[in-house]
Amino acid sequence: MMRTNELLAQDEPLLEVRDLSYSYDTVEAVRGVTFAVERGELLGFLGPNGAGKTTTLGCIAGLLSDWKGSLHFDGRDFDPGSRTADRATLGLAPQELALYDDLTGLENLCFFGRLSGLAGSELDTAVEAALELSGLAARAGDRVGTYSGGMKRRLNLAIGDLHQPQLLLLDEPTAGVDPQSRSHIFECLRALRRSGRTLIYTTHYMEEAERLCDRVAIINEGAIVALGSCRELARSIGQVEADLEQVFLQLTGRRLRD
Amino acid sequence: MRRLLQTALLLAGKDFRVFFRDRTGMLLGLALPIGLVTVFGFITQFAFRGGDMPRAELWVVDEDRSEASRLLVAELERSATLRLRPEGDEEAHDAYELMDDGEAHHVLVIAAGFGDRIGHGDVPELTLLRDPGRTMEDRLVRIGLSQAVTTVTRGRLIPVLLGQRLRDVGLPEDVVAEVVQAQEAGRAALENYLAQAAGEGGSGGDTAALDVQSVFSNLVPMTVVDRQPPERPRMLTYTLAQSVSGITVMMLMFGLVACGGTLILEREQGTLPRLLSAAMPRDAILVGKFLFAAAVGLFQLALLFCWGELLFDVGMFQRPATLLVVSVSVTAAVTGFGVLIAAWAKTTKQAEGVSTLLILVMSALGGAWFPVQLFDLPVYAEIITRSTLTWWAMSAYQQMLWDQASWTAPSVLQALAVLWAFALATSFLAWHLFRRRYTGG
Repeated sequence: MMRTNELLAQDEPLLEVRDLSYSYDTVEAVRGVTFAVERGELLGFLGPNGAGKTTTLGCIAGLLSDWKGSLHFDGRDFDPGSRTADRATLGLAPQELALYDDLTGLENLCFFGRLSGLAGSELDTAVEAALELSGLAARAGDRVGTYSGGMKRRLNLAIGDLHQPQLLLLDEPTAGVDPQSRSHIFECLRALRRSGRTLIYTTHYMEEAERLCDRVAIINEGAIVALGSCRELARSIGQVEADLEQVFLQLTGRRLRD
Repeated sequence: MRRLLQTALLLAGKDFRVFFRDRTGMLLGLALPIGLVTVFGFITQFAFRGGDMPRAELWVVDEDRSEASRLLVAELERSATLRLRPEGDEEAHDAYELMDDGEAHHVLVIAAGFGDRIGHGDVPELTLLRDPGRTMEDRLVRIGLSQAVTTVTRGRLIPVLLGQRLRDVGLPEDVVAEVVQAQEAGRAALENYLAQAAGEGGSGGDTAALDVQSVFSNLVPMTVVDRQPPERPRMLTYTLAQSVSGITVMMLMFGLVACGGTLILEREQGTLPRLLSAAMPRDAILVGKFLFAAAVGLFQLALLFCWGELLFDVGMFQRPATLLVVSVSVTAAVTGFGVLIAAWAKTTKQAEGVSTLLILVMSALGGAWFPVQLFDLPVYAEIITRSTLTWWAMSAYQQMLWDQASWTAPSVLQALAVLWAFALATSFLAWHLFRRRYTGG
């Protein structure tokens, strides 16, 4: 039987971000961003280029320092920039492919697995699962430099999930891939959700967000301008039948951003 | 043709734009030749003093302390080919100790009674302890000594010494007398001619370059005692020892800067964010780069030494413990330098520019290219050369190879201490920059 505090903890969101702000010198990239991610949820971050999606993920992943605001993970104060234990709860698939081209797919997986503290049979199992997830078992012994863009994207994602983190941060995981790889990545994400993983996912693609995400946060010029399910977002602009693209353009405008 | 030229200009224009975009990298690229020209000019100026010969260091132990011996020392101090030691508050210890410690390579001992013998027109006693391998310095020392002794004895000894040399090789007395007489006549004729030529404005050849005393050099009454470590291989010359040490240190620096550069590569290929977000101590990234570079450095050294030994038989492995301690210390210092550059540079271009500049300048100043220890550098230049890690790395290898010194010898220990100070200081700076740049620490 679960104790009261454990029950309370289950009710708490996995990640709570309050009033997060970050500036690059004089440019304010993120302004007072506040949101929460529930356990097992797939939260989409949708926004034009330069809206602050990657910067927000960078703050959560501990890649950026000197941000303002607060982060809480599992009800606790969260500082992955300073605390190794906090980083262990996170997985990251960066926008830029974070792979060693001169190593094979298997060597990349083993290296990053060991870096995350996996060893022995635990590492073998995790690597096997990652190869299955990425659909790269047949090419595991080949150098990553010989992989196609789609294969690299899949491997990039699989490495992020190698240590089965509680929260997986995915920064545009389908950028520049063909429909087959994109479809495979969607399947991966669905599989991860089914296994209870919590995901934050940034993308430009409306249909991806519509198809995959439980909720979508629309971020514009460093601030969240709307947050909710696609239906809730459509309602918020007074057009119940509107699709996500219409909502997005209504909320962020048509002006070019970059 | 016009289209080709237009396209070529367009491409060249684009390359210029890209070149000027990384201002630090561009400036470093431009600074490299300026830096090298400055260092070379600087070294040449002090090494050859506008065309004169470099100076060799000569330690003097004056056991006579007479007016004549002091006069000789003063004359040696004026020599254009010598740098006299001891200087200032220094004291000359036992001459043999100086040689055996590797502190001195030429020691002149003015024996007691030197002044009296000159006063009586007898051949005075001078002993030159020398390292026979230092041939270049040896010539300079001989020239300086000849000039000084001839001046002090006002040339009076030359006929005496010439006669003695001729008698030593067994010539009959009448022949000796004839030669000595002819020598005196020749000397007088030469002096007259030079005086006349100087009065007429120097016609009849480059008389300014001709010094009568130099004509009669090598007639100094001197007992030469060769002192060198018995373990020194016969194949090893000073030039070879210098080359082996210099090339080793310089190539090690180039190699390890490239290894440290993998930190920049991590950032440029996008793997750094993943490393930084991994559940591991972030400082491990920098420590890992240090270990990688150090291991590559030691391997490179081992390979280089084996090859050098095979080819030149320089006696690299005669003192394995010293070789190991010196190599580890040099590698640590050079690795620290490489990792510091990697932590400082924002782009590969910057890293390459600054490292090439620093390595070449430090190699030149530290003696990896020329034996700067032979040059008569002013105090500030001495300070500059001794501020480079190449100087201390060279010093440690030179002492091991040439003087056959063990790592426990005080002079080697001093070099090792400085190298480890370099290693610690550069590593600390690299760590500080890394934390500030990558982890916000």
